[in-house]
Amino acid sequence: MEFEQTRRIFEKARERFGEAVSLSERPNGEGSVVVDPARIREFTAWVRDELEDRFDFFGEVCATDFLGRSPRFDLTYTVYSTTANRHLHYKTRADDPDPAVDSVADIYPGAAWHEREIFDMFGVRFNGHPDLRRILMPDHWRGHPLRKDYPLGGEEVQFSSNFADITPQALPPAPGEEIFLGWDVLETQPASYTRLLESGAELEQDGEGRMVINMGPQHPSTHGVLRLLLELDGENVVRAVPDIGFLHTGIEKTGESLNYQQALTLTDRMDYLSPMGNNLAFSLAVEKLVGLEPPERATVLRVIFAELTRIQSHLVWLGTHALDLGAMSAFFYCFRERDQILDMFEMVSGVRMMTSYICPGGLREDVTDDFVPALERFLKVFPDRLGEYETLLTRNPIWLERTQGVGRISAEDAVAYGVSGASLRGSGVRWDVRKAEPYCGYETYDFEVPVGTNGDVYDRYLCRIEEMRQSHRIIRQALSRLKPGPVQAEERKVVPPPKSEIGQSMESLIHHFLITTIGFIAPPGEGHVPTETGRGLLSFYIVGDGSPKPYRMRARTPSFANLQALPKMLEGCLVADAVATIGSIDIVLGEIDR
Amino acid sequence: MANSHDVVPGVVFSTVDKVAKWAQSSSLWPFAFGLACCAIEMMSTVAGRFDIARFGAEVFRASPRQADLMIVAGRVSMKMGPVIKRLYDQMPDPKWVIAMGACSSCGGVFNNYAIIQGVDKVIPVDVYVPGCPPNPDALLYAVTRLQEKIRSGEARPGHRILEPVQTGISIESGRSS
Repeated sequence: MEFEQTRRIFEKARERFGEAVSLSERPNGEGSVVVDPARIREFTAWVRDELEDRFDFFGEVCATDFLGRSPRFDLTYTVYSTTANRHLHYKTRADDPDPAVDSVADIYPGAAWHEREIFDMFGVRFNGHPDLRRILMPDHWRGHPLRKDYPLGGEEVQFSSNFADITPQALPPAPGEEIFLGWDVLETQPASYTRLLESGAELEQDGEGRMVINMGPQHPSTHGVLRLLLELDGENVVRAVPDIGFLHTGIEKTGESLNYQQALTLTDRMDYLSPMGNNLAFSLAVEKLVGLEPPERATVLRVIFAELTRIQSHLVWLGTHALDLGAMSAFFYCFRERDQILDMFEMVSGVRMMTSYICPGGLREDVTDDFVPALERFLKVFPDRLGEYETLLTRNPIWLERTQGVGRISAEDAVAYGVSGASLRGSGVRWDVRKAEPYCGYETYDFEVPVGTNGDVYDRYLCRIEEMRQSHRIIRQALSRLKPGPVQAEERKVVPPPKSEIGQSMESLIHHFLITTIGFIAPPGEGHVPTETGRGLLSFYIVGDGSPKPYRMRARTPSFANLQALPKMLEGCLVADAVATIGSIDIVLGEIDR
Repeated sequence: MANSHDVVPGVVFSTVDKVAKWAQSSSLWPFAFGLACCAIEMMSTVAGRFDIARFGAEVFRASPRQADLMIVAGRVSMKMGPVIKRLYDQMPDPKWVIAMGACSSCGGVFNNYAIIQGVDKVIPVDVYVPGCPPNPDALLYAVTRLQEKIRSGEARPGHRILEPVQTGISIESGRSS
């Protein structure tokens, strides 16, 4: 969104809220409205219901800890309008001691988990929140990891010279000060584990005959380490409570301790089915922060790789989703084509999955000579292969029986929970970031956004199948636009100069040395660009402080919001439908837990 | 009584121990259990192109009680550590563990508060596979390597008790970001 549009909204807010609102120039190029914490609920309701743009889609709320500043915490809300195709940032602040803000979870149901995450990671309380407890860290955890005064943790690396000095035992916890309490405490955790199972026993005492069963974290159909507590009445699901955090990796905290090029490598490992999509979202946000424009060839190649990534991500989804429902062949077919795509990734970047190929400023290297022929071979066979998958499933009576009318969610609910990607479009909402707020020149490509009507598992399946076809179309167009040229921006303070230049210019040598040793400096400010990955709306929110490291690196990940709507989808379903529904929202635990 | 030199064609003399090891190594039943990125490469290993069935380890079981090989595919978080321990304990003897990838071997790039720096702090590991994630070829090599270890008796099957490791960081001595 342009700064002018934010200013216009701010002026309207001024008339309504007076001195309680002010205008901020951050994020770069977009700006935001700063709201007095006392009126945040009122402002949120106003943004959702009364503005003519109607920001109906809750993107995220994220916190930043400015240690030493008063007020200490910045909370940035991002809301989107699915009809007017724009988004708005607004902020509020909370201060030590006992930082607290009013919850907006009853206005936007999608805010509930984001607020829990802030409570867990920053210790900011939300007054009036329906279920304020830890979400990613274990219940017994002490401290709030994303606060700036919380140590990064980990262990010193043992080399042969210091092997005896540094062992885990060399860091004894001071009494009362320890954060991680050691294995003897973790061993007792299964007791707290069964707390919800105990509440199931209570229900049975009430004579309702209900039962609580535990699904995961080890379950072949939860697509990773998701734990679901299902409250059952016979075969019917009465209530489902997801429990996440079993793959919490501390990516945001670690990213804040590395420089920008190093932090890029962590984004690959977040949503591990679309590493290039994550690289792209991160690079766009950093480029916005430092004010950098990648060259034409890099942008076209980025589109090609983003779409290839979308296809391979959908292939894994289709293979495993079908496998969950008992169709083995689709798995083998999908992985055959996926390996073809991974071969191309390996060709250009040297690795199959964690490429870090798209980087701030353009691409790491130009593609190799054999890339384009390989891509053409793939484009030639892929439509037929897609037809093969459809022959297996689309009209298959068992498939229809298992997916039609299962796991339904209405368009209003999906938008309110902030569900995005094919899971949203299956409910009939035509909202795709590539169309709504185009980046990388997506507005110049000719493609359709498929939508469903029923919002069930089958419609989501059809949407993703059609999306693969549209991605194929985009890649064809992009390939015809591919012209020779540089693939990295000519900004020598950010992008390291090529080898040939280093040998001839002293200045290039200095730039190269600085970028490889300390990294590039990003100015104070904020960068944020929404993108569409295979799973939906992915955006990075980067706060720069004039150093080579991001002060805050936050990822708004689509699966996190999509999973939040799962209990809504499962209401009234059978236990067996839970498997189909989890498969259909295509979650990746790596990006949910981060 | 037959002379020991009169070898009947088609009969091989061996020890019961050797035969048992040969049987154990030739039909490993992995535990279908993925954590993160490496699990996707593990799925590729099962699929047609790399085909783990060539090495007799294709029967992935969803229950720990039916498996004898745990492939820890991905990073192990503090919240997941006790769960993995419990799953390992539920597997019947003899059992083996492959730590797939940098994270489960040593924490990988995630040297921080959330990730256990190597799954060998929780359960004993027989083979470590480097890579982030390792190629399917690397996992296949690990499987064959484990088979060799089982046959040679290097990998001792069964439950080994680990010394409890006290890890802990304090605010003073911990590394600050």
